[in-house]
Amino acid sequence: METTMKSRSNLVVSYITVGGIVIIVMMIFGILMLLAQGGVLDLPAASFYQFLTIHGTGMVGAAALAAAGVMWYFLSHYVDLSKKVMSINLVLFLVGVVMVIIGVFSFKYASSWTFLYPLPALSASAWGTVGPLLYLFGMLILGIGFLLFYLDSGRAIIKKHGSLAKGLGWDVISGKKSEKDAPSGAVVASTMVTIVNITALTAGATVLIMNIINVINPAITFDPLLAKNLTYAFGHIFANSIIYMGVIAVYEILPRYTNRPWKSSKAFLIAWTMSTVFTLIIYTHHLLMDSVMPNWMLIMGQILSYANGLPVLVVTAYGALMIVYKSGIKWDMASGLIYMSMFGWVVGVVPAIVDATIVVNHVMHNTKWVPGHFHMYMALGACAMIFGFMYFLAKEDSNMKTYILDKIAFIAFTLSIVGLSGSFLVSGALSTPRRWATHIPEWMAPAVFGAVAGVFAVLSVTVFVIHFIRYINKRNKVNAKEDLKDKKLA
Amino acid sequence: MLQTKYGFLLFVLLIIPPIRNLMESVMVVHMLVQIPLLIISGWLISGYFQCKFPGFFSKWNSNGVPGIILVVFLITYWMIPRTLDEALNAWYIELFKIVSLPFLVGIPLQDSWKKLNSLGRSFIIFNFILMSGLMAWLYIDAPVRLCNNYLEVEQKVLGWGFLIITVSIVLYMLQNVFTDHSEGT
Repeated sequence: METTMKSRSNLVVSYITVGGIVIIVMMIFGILMLLAQGGVLDLPAASFYQFLTIHGTGMVGAAALAAAGVMWYFLSHYVDLSKKVMSINLVLFLVGVVMVIIGVFSFKYASSWTFLYPLPALSASAWGTVGPLLYLFGMLILGIGFLLFYLDSGRAIIKKHGSLAKGLGWDVISGKKSEKDAPSGAVVASTMVTIVNITALTAGATVLIMNIINVINPAITFDPLLAKNLTYAFGHIFANSIIYMGVIAVYEILPRYTNRPWKSSKAFLIAWTMSTVFTLIIYTHHLLMDSVMPNWMLIMGQILSYANGLPVLVVTAYGALMIVYKSGIKWDMASGLIYMSMFGWVVGVVPAIVDATIVVNHVMHNTKWVPGHFHMYMALGACAMIFGFMYFLAKEDSNMKTYILDKIAFIAFTLSIVGLSGSFLVSGALSTPRRWATHIPEWMAPAVFGAVAGVFAVLSVTVFVIHFIRYINKRNKVNAKEDLKDKKLA
Repeated sequence: MLQTKYGFLLFVLLIIPPIRNLMESVMVVHMLVQIPLLIISGWLISGYFQCKFPGFFSKWNSNGVPGIILVVFLITYWMIPRTLDEALNAWYIELFKIVSLPFLVGIPLQDSWKKLNSLGRSFIIFNFILMSGLMAWLYIDAPVRLCNNYLEVEQKVLGWGFLIITVSIVLYMLQNVFTDHSEGT
């Protein structure tokens, strides 16, 4: 059993380490882009768009990998997951990343993460055929790895609980089972993520192959609106699911710190079911500017985006407040980051809900307002959950101590992400367009401010990751000593 | 044994020239009736070959993965519009179709399916959802005639056929994962 736990942790540690390091590298690309927009760095436009492509793809991919590690770690306490599939996903991830990097930097592919049809094939000679093929096939390989990962989690949940419906607690909602027998928060969240991400990855693979066909033979064309729908059905859901995987850390870590259980009440289960449905269909808020979209889909996108922001967020944030209230919790880096992630999630979702309003969207969607939303939401929400888990695992496994530098990094991370996101939101309010390599002087100041804030953010995250790597070293040494002792005894 | 007889009978019926020509004259029947029936004939006769050559299957397809990879590659090949055209234009491609679908798809599919675990099966089903959805989109949406032997309207009908198959599999999977599989129920 001990060996199993050790090897389980090894895989999780690999996921988190790869995720953490890639996030740092991607942050550096982000800073370089902001410096270029701020007029501080003379970066060729072609390089800017390559950076934009790698930054968007890499950030979502790395955060998804790390969050998958968090989900796997806690879900494996409740159901029997396959280590083999976990390893295959990691290998496919690395292969996919290498292909994407070669496609972007060696073959100048720069369509942004959206690979929006027909851009991969129509680049005005900015790139050729090999670059997009490497990128699109790399993404496809990444997707296959994640698809296997979620199919395995679905299989394990069905094996243990009987069905995905029971994984979501529908038998408790319908009154067939009492609340005390409800599935844990980790199982409920994992079931939701399994459902939405299998759907997203299937949609994504379809549109990726369509783009590949179009790149190989541009004479075969497709409906661009359907391609855009599938692209955002994939991208929105997959990126959104990161926080739903990360939140498992909240459900699992806060109860350990407060010695209070996180109960799966009926309200909690209903909220997760609502989010499962809404997450699948609200991607249309990315298409509010597409006037050819059916009106009912756009109206649905607005209304359900409002609705989706609330159920899980409310029950989780309220649950976190209640579980901590008068609990005598001892705050440390793990609990602090996890608790702070609630703030990042709550605050980060507000600009998104504002942007999901059709009349606002027509003005704001192509401005830096939107990066303002997702930098706050992803960095201070989802990534804070992942970093909190890193500190939790280091403490749980090896009783790693934290130092004053970690605390300074915590404060610096929080303030710098607020500053960075604030700079994007201010840029949005100034009508600064997003995804533009060059800015006019009136738009530059917030970009420079964002770059400076980004430097502090990257330094803080480096402290978090170094702490985690120190833990791996300590753990490896302890494991080596134990192995030696076992050999001697044998 | 009865199953093997039905399999051989189905195979013989499918290759009788008038029946073959009739099926191949309509694109949707060619792709969505003749090809699946050839695979089913192979599935039905697989028991005979497994009894005859047990060592071959246990040695070369012990966990079902090699067989299913062969199946996926060949099904993908036969979904490409050009292959339908070539089967009608070149006798050796037609012969390859008649031989490959029962013997290199149907038989290994039957042998692999029982050896694959639930994860492997799910992966193959989702792969098929993706492939048939993709083909639906391709055949409905392509602005050009993809096969010289069939009209553009026929490829659209075929596309809708693929879409119906895709939706059917999705609905099947939904009912499968949302209905209770607990022991004793």
